[in-house]
Amino acid sequence: MIRDRLQRILAIGSLNLGEINARRITDISFIVRHRQDAEPREGPSLRIYTEPAAARDLARFDREGRFRPLKGAPTLLAGWELRLDSIDSLKLAIDYFYPGALASWFAREDRRINPVDLRTTLNRQTGMYRVTQKLTNAEADELAGRFCRSDGGCLRTILWTIAGKRPNGNLPETKFAISDDQLGKHDPAIPFLCLEACNLLVAEARETVKQRST
Amino acid sequence: MTTEIQQANEEPFGFKPDSSLIVVGHGSTINPDSSRPTFAHADTIRQKGLFADVVCAFWKEEPSLREVLRMVETEEVYVVPHFISEGYFTQKVIPRELELTGPITRRDNKVIKYCEPVGNHPQMTDLILQRANRTAPSVAPEQTSLLIVGHGTGLNENSAVAVKTQVKKIRERQIYTEVGAAYMEEEPLISNWPSLTHYPSVVVVPFFISDGLHSYEDIPVLLGIHSESTGTASRAEIFRRNPYLLNGRTLYYASAIGTDPMMAEIILEMVHQFDQKHLASAVSD
Repeated sequence: MIRDRLQRILAIGSLNLGEINARRITDISFIVRHRQDAEPREGPSLRIYTEPAAARDLARFDREGRFRPLKGAPTLLAGWELRLDSIDSLKLAIDYFYPGALASWFAREDRRINPVDLRTTLNRQTGMYRVTQKLTNAEADELAGRFCRSDGGCLRTILWTIAGKRPNGNLPETKFAISDDQLGKHDPAIPFLCLEACNLLVAEARETVKQRST
Repeated sequence: MTTEIQQANEEPFGFKPDSSLIVVGHGSTINPDSSRPTFAHADTIRQKGLFADVVCAFWKEEPSLREVLRMVETEEVYVVPHFISEGYFTQKVIPRELELTGPITRRDNKVIKYCEPVGNHPQMTDLILQRANRTAPSVAPEQTSLLIVGHGTGLNENSAVAVKTQVKKIRERQIYTEVGAAYMEEEPLISNWPSLTHYPSVVVVPFFISDGLHSYEDIPVLLGIHSESTGTASRAEIFRRNPYLLNGRTLYYASAIGTDPMMAEIILEMVHQFDQKHLASAVSD
């Protein structure tokens, strides 16, 4: 069970995932903060929340109040503390910050993941996204390098390929390393795995093909 | 008038501790309110403690349909589309992304039960009438025109059909003297509401799953109760300013039908309906 495995991880230390840090206070008491607020520091006090749904609201807008449809974007607001009273609430909150991250990580530990090649993803698109099948591998490389980069794009660790090859559009080796926290902090962290290109990337692929065609 | 939705007390929804529920919404990359009602209904259902897991998945947001099945840990999984009508998304996109083979799909040690979209449920008619009644509680139905608004373009062909179906059902109830369909982008256009309606009071209910640009701005502009120059700061304020007095009529404007808290009950009803419909095949397996 995901909740039990999460409980076991927290029993021996805190958990870093993307921009959040979660730690156990007792078996029924947990705290989540932005990683930059994880350690005590001088400055304004943190806003306290006690419901997992607060994570959803915190993750919805970035520091400038812009909508964050891409939850892996390195733009999570800081300055809050989430106090949760059960492991289920913690699991729920983590899924609001980084949807499916725990499930994918544990599935990878169990060797139950099958990353999907970008060509497979694009080839099954229909309707307005069918045109993305015309995206060339070179364009896909460029797109991944621009859209998925950890500094300003997305903190997920890419495991999918482009026609069998790792995307090489100026992405560093660390982008594909599950041991890297994608923030350049080199702290131990659970990676936010990307097993298949997301719909936002597919939408960007559509823009690329349309612009090239005009 | 009796518009309160009957709670399904006659046949209460049973606990399914060995099952999970996935509520699927469209989501949006530009509208932060698009996924809110889907999340809210999932919260309501989760708090009932009926399922082992209750999670949402979206076409345009995360978790995606591609990753959501990993997030639920029971063998049996119900999938309910929080969509207003059958159509491209419920018939093509969701089955494709979840790799479904029919109403019941068995794979990867899971039994995935694909329910019909909420818009198909008979109680949607009650929900519209309840929403109309709550938006304009003091109007006399015999002196009121009720307009159900859909998007209405080729891409949303089935949503227009769903609106027409609801209009027909509401007419049959004989509560409002005049009931009509109107659309943003096809005839009859909602902007022509003064000529489409013939009674002193007009109640407009958007047949959409969530509030967003269409319900906050586009339809209000077409109705003439909001100008584009007003900006987007006041969003939900548009629903609080009822009634609007214009063209010699009293106009009441409701928020999108899919945001109604009772939608959580309808999501559960879709699961119940699925079980009833497929009971025979489950027994014969």
